[in-house]
Parts: sequence; C-alpha cells; structure tokens
Amino acid sequence: MYSCLDLSGHVVLFELGQLYPGITMEFGKTRGRVTPQELNPSSGPKPKRVPKMVGRRKKEKVKRKKNKANIEELKKEVVMDDHKLTLEELSRRYSVDLTKGLRPEKAQEILDRDGPNTLTPPPTTPEWVKFCKQLFGGFSILLWTGAILCFVAYGIQTYFNEEPTKDNLYLGIVLAVVVFITGCFSYYQEAKSSKIMESFKSMVPQQALVIRGGEKMQINVQNVVVGDLVEVKGGDRIPADIRLISAQGCKVDNSSLTGESEPQSRFPHFTHENLLETRNICFFSTNCVEGTARGIVIATGDSTVMGRIASLTSGLAVGQTPIATEIKHFIHIITMVAVFLGVSFFGLSLMLGYSWLKAVIFLIGIIVANVPEGLLVTVTVCLTLTAKRMAKKNCLVKNLEAVETLGSTSIICSDKTGTLTQNRMTVAHLWFDKTTYEADTSEEQTVNTFAKDSDTWFILARIAGLCNRADFKPDQETLPIAKRATTGDASESALLKFIEQSYSSVKEMREKSPKVAEIPFNSTNKYQISIHLREDSSQTHVLLMKGAPERILAFCSSYLLNGQEYSMDEEMKEAFQNAYLELGGLGERVLGFCFLNLPNTFSKGFKFNTDEVNFPMENFCFVGLISMIDPPRPAVPEAVCKCRSAGIKVIMVTGDHPITAKAIAKGVGIISEGTETAEDTTAQLKVHVRQIDSRDVKAIVVHGSDLKDMSSAQLDEILRNYTEIVFARTSPQQKLIIVEGCQRQGNVVAATGDGVNDSPALKKADIGIAMGITGSDVSKQAADMILLDDNFASIVTGVEEGRLIFDNLKKSIAYTLTSNIPEITPFLLFIILGIPLPLGTITILCIDLGTDMVPAISLAYESAESDIMKRAPRDPKNDKLVNYRLIGMAYGQIGMIQALAGFFTYFVILAENGFKPADLLGIRHDWENSYVNDLEDSYGQQWTFEQRKILEFTCQTGFFVSIVIVQWADLIICKTRRNSVFQQGMKNKILIFGILEETFLAAFLCYTPGMDMALRMYPLKIFWWLCAIPYSILIFIYDEVRKFAIRNHPGGWLERETYY
Amino acid sequence: MTKKEKKSFNQCMAEWKLFLYNPTTREFLGRTTKSWGLILLFYLVFYGFLAALFSFTMWAMLQTLNDEVPKYRDQIPSPGLMVFPKPVTALDYSFRVSDPESYRGYVDDLTKFLKSYDLEEQKNLTACPDGALREQKGPTYTACQFPVVSLKGCSGVEDPEFGYSTGNPCILVKMNRIIGLKPQGKPRINCISKKTATLSTYPSNGTIDLKYFPYYGKKLHVRYLQPLVAVQVAFNTTSTGKEVTVECKIDGSPNLRNQDDRDKFLGRVVFKITMHA
Repeated sequence: MYSCLDLSGHVVLFELGQLYPGITMEFGKTRGRVTPQELNPSSGPKPKRVPKMVGRRKKEKVKRKKNKANIEELKKEVVMDDHKLTLEELSRRYSVDLTKGLRPEKAQEILDRDGPNTLTPPPTTPEWVKFCKQLFGGFSILLWTGAILCFVAYGIQTYFNEEPTKDNLYLGIVLAVVVFITGCFSYYQEAKSSKIMESFKSMVPQQALVIRGGEKMQINVQNVVVGDLVEVKGGDRIPADIRLISAQGCKVDNSSLTGESEPQSRFPHFTHENLLETRNICFFSTNCVEGTARGIVIATGDSTVMGRIASLTSGLAVGQTPIATEIKHFIHIITMVAVFLGVSFFGLSLMLGYSWLKAVIFLIGIIVANVPEGLLVTVTVCLTLTAKRMAKKNCLVKNLEAVETLGSTSIICSDKTGTLTQNRMTVAHLWFDKTTYEADTSEEQTVNTFAKDSDTWFILARIAGLCNRADFKPDQETLPIAKRATTGDASESALLKFIEQSYSSVKEMREKSPKVAEIPFNSTNKYQISIHLREDSSQTHVLLMKGAPERILAFCSSYLLNGQEYSMDEEMKEAFQNAYLELGGLGERVLGFCFLNLPNTFSKGFKFNTDEVNFPMENFCFVGLISMIDPPRPAVPEAVCKCRSAGIKVIMVTGDHPITAKAIAKGVGIISEGTETAEDTTAQLKVHVRQIDSRDVKAIVVHGSDLKDMSSAQLDEILRNYTEIVFARTSPQQKLIIVEGCQRQGNVVAATGDGVNDSPALKKADIGIAMGITGSDVSKQAADMILLDDNFASIVTGVEEGRLIFDNLKKSIAYTLTSNIPEITPFLLFIILGIPLPLGTITILCIDLGTDMVPAISLAYESAESDIMKRAPRDPKNDKLVNYRLIGMAYGQIGMIQALAGFFTYFVILAENGFKPADLLGIRHDWENSYVNDLEDSYGQQWTFEQRKILEFTCQTGFFVSIVIVQWADLIICKTRRNSVFQQGMKNKILIFGILEETFLAAFLCYTPGMDMALRMYPLKIFWWLCAIPYSILIFIYDEVRKFAIRNHPGGWLERETYY
Repeated sequence: MTKKEKKSFNQCMAEWKLFLYNPTTREFLGRTTKSWGLILLFYLVFYGFLAALFSFTMWAMLQTLNDEVPKYRDQIPSPGLMVFPKPVTALDYSFRVSDPESYRGYVDDLTKFLKSYDLEEQKNLTACPDGALREQKGPTYTACQFPVVSLKGCSGVEDPEFGYSTGNPCILVKMNRIIGLKPQGKPRINCISKKTATLSTYPSNGTIDLKYFPYYGKKLHVRYLQPLVAVQVAFNTTSTGKEVTVECKIDGSPNLRNQDDRDKFLGRVVFKITMHA
C-alpha cells in the first residue's frame, strides 16, 4: 500500500526547485494546516513525471527505515472495526441519529475535543535549513570559495610578511558579506512568494455537506467531526473517513490511497475484513466520481487512514520544474566557464612566473567577474512579480511552472458553455410584424433596439411574461435584472428577464391577469399553454401559448401584423419559415408565440380541465417568434482572435448540438468569418460532401458519434488538416482522446473542464484549466490553473503573461550577462598583456550588485512587445531560456563593445596622465612592485607606487563608469527583442528610474569623499564620463539595425543566429 | 517536458560523437561548414569593424594629446624620493666589507646610474648659474650640468667602490622628475638616522639647487640630469651594531610634501643598511 502512495505529486507542482537559492519556492511545504485538497493525490503524478517518481521512491525507502518502529506502531493502530458494525451499532458508538445527524452543540463539543479535520502539515524544512540553502546554493559556493581563498591569501601574507596589505582581508569580508546579503534577500523573496501561493490555496476552500440536527448545511471541511452525518456526491472530495449508511450508484476513485485508478463502487454493506478493501468505507481526500452516498464520519484529520500515511511520507524529495531546470542548467554553464577560465588562467599565471599567491588572487578576480552575483535575486523578483500579476487577472495559478508552460501553449481545447459563453440563456432575436429584431445580448443589456411601440410587441411580451413558469427568487431587488437568480428552466428565465427588462414588471402583469389553468411543456407536445383572466375585462379569459414554432403555427389560422389580425396566408407562412430557418441557423433556440381570446362562454368561474381539454384548441392567432442563445462572453472573440495571431489553435469541445456549437464558434471566431465547413460548401454548391476537396476546407464540425468511430490516425488527420475545429455532441471521455490527439502532433495543449469526467483530460493536458465558479473540486484538483471568472479571455491573458515572463527573464538575463565581458576581459588582458589592472574585484561587485541590479529588475516590468501574441508559441524543446544566441549576443557582440568602451576610457585616463598605451604593454611587473617608486611615464615623469596606484584606481573608476554608461544602451536595447525601441516606447517608469538610479549610484561611488578609502574609487573628470558614449551609441545603433534586419527578413540568417 | 531520462554512458558518448561530427547532416560541432563559415565571417567582420572603430577612437584620442606635456599633472603634484642602488625587493642594503661579491651588485648599479653623469657626457650641457629657477621659453631647451664631484666620496671618481670596501657605503637619493615642478624655498634632502652612525650628505647640507627646475619633459628637455644627493654612512667604530635605519626627507620647500599616510615615498624614503664585518 505504501509504495503505491504518492502524496508528493502536488508538491512537485509547487516546487520551483531548490537547486538554486533564488527561486526556491517550496509552496508545497506550507506552514499552516493542510486541507485535504493540498494533499491532493489525484492530481499528483502526471504520466510525464513518472520516471522521476521512481527515483524519488528510492529515497523514501531510505527515509522510512529510520521510521520503522514508528510505522509498526501506526500499522497496529489502523485496526478498526467500524466497517463491521451494523448500522445500529454504528449509531450507538457515535451516538448519532442516522437521519438527523449530530446536534450542532454536540458537534462543536467534538470539534473542540478533536481539533479541526486537517492533517498536521508535514514537518516543514526548518527555516534555518532553508536559509542555509539560500546561503550555500548555486553561485554562492563559488563566491564562498573566493572569500575563503582571500582569507587564506591574507593568512599566508601575514605569516610570511610583517607588513601585509589588508586588501585581501577586505575583499574576503566583502565577498562574504555579499553572499550573505544576497542569501538573505533570496530567502526573504522565497518566503514572500510562498506566502502568495499559500494565499492562492486558501482561495479555494473545501466544503462538505453535513446533516446536523436534521438540517443540511455546507460547512468547511475543517469543521467536520467524528460522528457527523455527511452526504457526498459525484465530484466531491471525501471530507473524512466515512462509513456509508446509504448509497446510490456511488463510485469512488481511491487512486490516491491505493494506486488503483479504476473507480470502485461503494455501498453500505460490509464486504471485506480489511478496512482498505471493504466497500462500505470512503477515505479522506479520495474522490467521489459519481452517484451519491451518506455516511457517518469515523475518523478525521490525522487519525484518518490517509493522515497516518501522510505523516510517514512527509518530507519527500521534490521534483524540479522546467524553469528551475533551465536556471540550474544555466548556473552550471556559468560556473563551468568561471572555473575553466579561472583554473586555466591560474595555470597560465603560474607559467608566466607569478607567485602562486598572486595566481590565487587572479583566480578570485576571474571567479568574481564571471559570476553574475545579482542575477539570482533578479530572477526571483521577476517570478514573484508575475505571481502577483496573475493573481490580479483572475488566473489562479497553482504553480509558477504552469505560467511558463502556458506561455508555450499551442492548442487550447475549450469548453463552450460557461467558458466561451456566458452560461446564461438570453433573448437574442425577436421576429414579429414580419421583421427580425435584434435584442441586446451583452452582459450589461443596457439598450434594447427594436420597435417597442408596435401593438404586436405588447401582446408578444404579455404572452412571454404570462405563459412562463419562471420567477425571480426573492430579495434581489437591488441587483440588476440580468444578474438576478431565477427559478425555472433556462429559456423561461431568459424570457422572464427579457420581459422584465424591456417591457414591464412581470409580477404586476401576473397579478392583473391571474393564471387560471395551464398545460406545462412536455417533449411530446412541445408547447405550453396557460389561461389567464383578461386584464381589461376581468370576466373573460385569454389562452396563451408558446412552444416549438412549427407546432405553434399548426394551431394558428390568423396572425398579427402591427396589432391587426389577418388570416393566415401562404406569404405569411413563407415569411415564418424563412425567419425560423434564419434564427435556427444562428444556433438559437426558437420559440413561437400565439394566443386566443376565449369567447364569453368561458367567463370567469369556468372550470378549465387541462387533462380532458374542454376549451378550443384551434384557430389561434400567431404573434411572433423569440429566439434565445447562450451568448458568447464579450471578451471572447477578441481573445480567440489573439490566440489565432499567437499561433494558438482554439478547439471547441462541447456536448451541445452541432448547429449551436457552430453558431457560437462562428460568433467567437473559432470558425472565422468567411470560412466555411464542408457542409456549408456543399449546401451552396449542391454537391456531395465527398466531392469537395478537403484541402479547400479549413473548418470542420466533428460530431461526437463520428469521433467514436474514428481511428486515431483519422483523428490525427483532422487535427492536422483543419485549422478551425469544433467537436460537438462529445462526451467528456472524448475530450481526453482529443487532447491526446493534439499532443501526438507535438503540441502543448491546454484544456479546460469543469466536471469530474473532465479530470483525466485536465491531467493529460499540459495545462489543465479548471473553472473556479462552476468547476467541481475534482477538476480543480486535477488542474494546474483555475480560472476564477470561468472566462476564456483569462486563459489568453495567462498565455500572454506566461510568454511575457519568459521574454522578460530572457531580457533580464541578457542584460545582466552582457556586463560579464567587460568584467572578465580586464583580468585576461592584465595577465596576458601585462597592463595595469583595468577593473578591480570590488568595482566588479559594485556593478553586479549595485548599478546593474535595479535596471535588471526593471525589465520584469517591461510591457509585452507588440508581437508577443503574434508569434508562434515557444517550442519548449529548442527554445531555451538561455540559448547560444543569447550568449552570443551578450558575450560575443554587445559585451565586446562594452569592453572596448571600458578599455577606451582606461587608456584615455592613463594617456592623459602621462602613460601612453604603447608604453603600458608589459609594464605590469614594475607597476605592481611597491619598491619601484620612480616608474617613468611616457613624458619622463617619475611616479611613486602609491601615486600610480591612485591613477590605476582612477582608471578602474573610469572603467566602472563606462560600463554604467554602456549599460544604459544595453538596458534600452534589451527592452525589446524584435521591435524597435521607438515602437516600444519608453513607458516603463521603473526602467527609467533604473537608469537614473545606476547613474546616481555611479556618481555617488565616484565622488563621495571617503570612497577613496572605502572602495578605492576616485573622482573622475567630466570628460572621462563621456568617453564611453560613442560606444553606447554604437550599441544602440548596432542593435537597432540588427532588429530592423530581423523584422524585415523574418527567418533570415541574422534572426537564426542572433534572435534570442 | 519535465521528463528527464537517465542516459547511459554509451548513449552519452554516442551523442557527443554525433555532436562532434554528424555524418548525415555533415555537421561539425552542431554546424555545417557553411554555417561555420557564415558565423565566423560575421564575427570576423564584426570584430574587424570594432577593432577599426577602437583604433580610430584611440587614434583620435592620441591626436588630442600634446607630445611634450601630459594633459593632466594633478595626479603627481609632489615628487617622491628614490634611492640608488635600486632596491629589488625591499629597501634593505646588506653587505660584508670583507666580501667584495656581496656589494658588487650595489657598486655596479651605482656605476651604471652615474654613467650619464660622466664628465664626458655632460660636456655639451649648460653650466647654469646657481640658486635660481631656470625657466626656459624654448624652442630649444637646455639641460644644466650636474657636477658629479659635488658628491665627493660618493661620486665614484675617487672611490670606484663608493665606500663599500671601507665600510662607509654611499646611497644616492634623488627626487622624482615631474614636469613643470617649481620648488619653493631652498629644497634640501635631510637625512637622519636613529642609530649611532654618522651621516654625511653631499653636496653639503643635501642641498638641491633650483637651477635644475623646472623640468620640461623627456621630449623637450633632452639629456636632462636630475640633481642628486649622496648619503654616506660612517659607523661609529665603538658601536657594536653595524645596522642603521636612515630616513631622508625633502626639507625647506613648502610646496614639496614629505608626509603622507599612505604614500611612504612621497618626499621621503626610509632605508636600512646592515654591514657585516
């Protein structure tokens, strides 16, 4: 049993990985209590994660050995006999009435005694361990090594030399402090992000239906107590361990507990000695798939079977998300480059005859220059910002991985009802006086534009209002009409609201003309009749009728035109037919309306018999048609259009009728305007479907029954060949087949769903999206993302957000990495050419952790490029976060220009002070010798050691300032990857702040008195600030030209080699 | 996508081999010959352009420089002091009177250094009047003679061993050249020793004559000779220790600094002489 159990699945989703101090967001390991949903086994291992799980279990085994004694103890405790008891015994044991449940006071008492029905969260990683991980993970190790080397060097110097320079000691301290501070910051960020994710979780509280004191009530799962009488139905999560007392077709999915994925039926009878095998127990945190059942709670919280196991399997190793893997990969590369360069130059400097102490100092310098110290903090901040932004946009993302995957989505399989549509029948069209009028179907329903002064309209409105069984629920006067809840079926409610809104109060109307008799709608009659007293003369009656239009017309011998009654003629019948077809073709549900003023013989008091009809049923007067539809959500067409331009195929999967499905698909743009399905074309050309070349047809409506007979090859063909696909009359199971089909084509599929039956599809999809309002708990568990507003448009927002974070991370990394080249090259040239060191270690840290920090973070605030939703989805296999193109751009191109800018400033400062470039080559040996105090410059002047060191540090300050200046340009070019900056604009205020901040910081470091002592930075002449500007301009122009070429030659060589 | 299969070592190697050279696509290190050619060409052109641009900016910058005088001289407002023989690792002279090999290096260094002060070499230099700054307007700049004889026993003329063989070693002190420096007052090198040793400075009093200032730079002021001051140490025969620490400072000129916390050589120099029997 234990080996089947995998509670970690859910945890995996929330992990961003520990590899790396920046984004260790251990969302799974919450500090508070864990509600069953968090233990979420069913949403756990997606098939694709299976290989990892295997490895993980090995680790578990090791852990378990330690707890062996503990396990034995717990195994004993699992012995329970509740399943063997008869109902009477059960009732007695828990002193509970099997129909009325516990008394509320009693329940409260037990709750106080036993505590809430939650699992004690697994022992979370202690805070100090997390903190240490931040301190010693990732790049930190490299920097710690640097710091330790510094201390060692200092130690050796002190040992052999009475008067050591303190430089190494200071550098060591600075490095240690830097690592410590970035560690603290990452830790703080991580804590903050996990808080955000926790708050997400608390937004989907679990409810349980309990019966207490004879009353059904919805309570939070935490408040369920032992002895409670609970009712579960399909789609619910079992709130506690339950002994069933009655069940109707109840099936549960115990996969979370036993690993069996086949649903098992449950009934009240005792079937097996073993508690886990018997059929009359439902277990905490498993799912009820279908049917309903009632039972008595026999255990809650930690004492449930699941609770016992959970406490044993806590602290499982957790998997890594792709983005974490990518970052880990990237850290590896950078570390390898740093170590390789460091070690090879260590060897080189030893060969060149430097003392090994000097070589160690070079090594430290190279390591420090290679490691982008501030990058991890930047990435963490970027991800946190996205988490916040997603929450604001109604996308409850259960893990940040989902955001990133969502960004690479290439197919969205969407439900129709509720997601694409408003899930609310609304009157769309009216047809009377031989004219079609359109009703407003927007969610606000403010204006109705049709002939309200026609007499026909008055009669039509009265029929719709009176011959209607729907009613508003009480106490909703303050709500707008469209939002009020109603009783009655969807179309009647639609009519009710429509009349209330555009005519008058239906309530008053009904009071004035009370209903006397009625024949309700049934599927054989397909009509509904009600008889009312007439408003004008309350002595006579009027018969009102609505129903299927063709049925209604059959009863009519006359029709109304502008309030006048005319006898039925062929012309009218034809007009009727056309209108009926037109409205039906729009996928709308059409109802016909007619009436008959009953003669005086049926005056007040007449007993109408609806079973044996004793009133006239012919020669009615036809009034008009009203058609209804569940209208698309207003934002959906735009969202679908966005998807299309973003290269994302939207496939509608619905259980609805093909015509309705097609109409909505056309309405929202899934089938675009002007595109026709094979059927449309055949209708026009009057040829058989088979005669049409399928290549000419882009759109198709696939019927569920056809899908059933299709082989997967046929399905593949459809998915491949048609760009606009609607699946109608499908069963939820078929959704899974469709998702799989899409994945076979190599697509990244997002699927929406709300029902229990959708959860396999949600799990199978790369991104399962559950509905926050209508969705069942199970579907929410299975999903990676929950749409709080059920709105399709929010998915698209999510996609955009996912693409944006990926882009912005790329930009941020590109920006940060670029300055590595001007940081490394000084060291290399220092060693190779023997020139005075152009950039010191402290100055490098000033760049990485000082001036580069805010600008890099500001790129996370960069708004999307105009093409973000116009380009094809990311190919997760080939389009990596950090690819060779990005490295090529950052290191090979922009970085090189930056290095030149730095060196130019360096040479300018030296030359203007007397050391011309040509005289610098090989000068290093004397330059670094503190006993050479008469070093001659190009003009014959002689410099003491300290004098030339000050000059050297001034040069380093100049180099530093130059990097800041070229980083301006770098920041501006990193704003966009394809667009020109002129298209993108400079609207990112944080970015402008970043530029100002880095400039002020540089000036501060340069000019503050005392900096010469603290950081060895010296004031510069204004002219030296300007040296880098030509290079800054060059960077800008070069990149604009590059982007211009990329825009104008899509797919060209430059794009293939430099578009990161 | 999260799937990460463990690859066997062989598979790994095979992949590497394929990466090194893929015979089907004829790719070498993941690129075809043409692709390599293009990318290398791109970087060749790109770096060529950058090199040209860098050279151009450097050239332009060098054009703005004056060949005679550096643009800024504020980094060296005040000269440092330096001693000869040239110290290699530390300012610590140690020798044995009885062993000529132990001071040969010092003597050679001094001889070499004083070569440019040779009378023959100074023949064409101007004999300048003493005691005043010698400002020149050009276009030709002349250098003043420095009479080596003023160094007396340390001139190397009388004693080619510079006193090392007799136990009275000479150390030359010189002031760093700085273009345009005009010392105020009457600059002199003042040397003191803490231990009991007698110091003699030549020229007498360690005076540095103003006629050697200002210096006009290597290009204009060809064959310029720096004024020198020699310090000769005479150990008291009675003293047991033959070790002395000498501190020399510029004195008597208000604009020449001789005290700086960081720069131990700014207007001063400290050296140690250890003489073994």
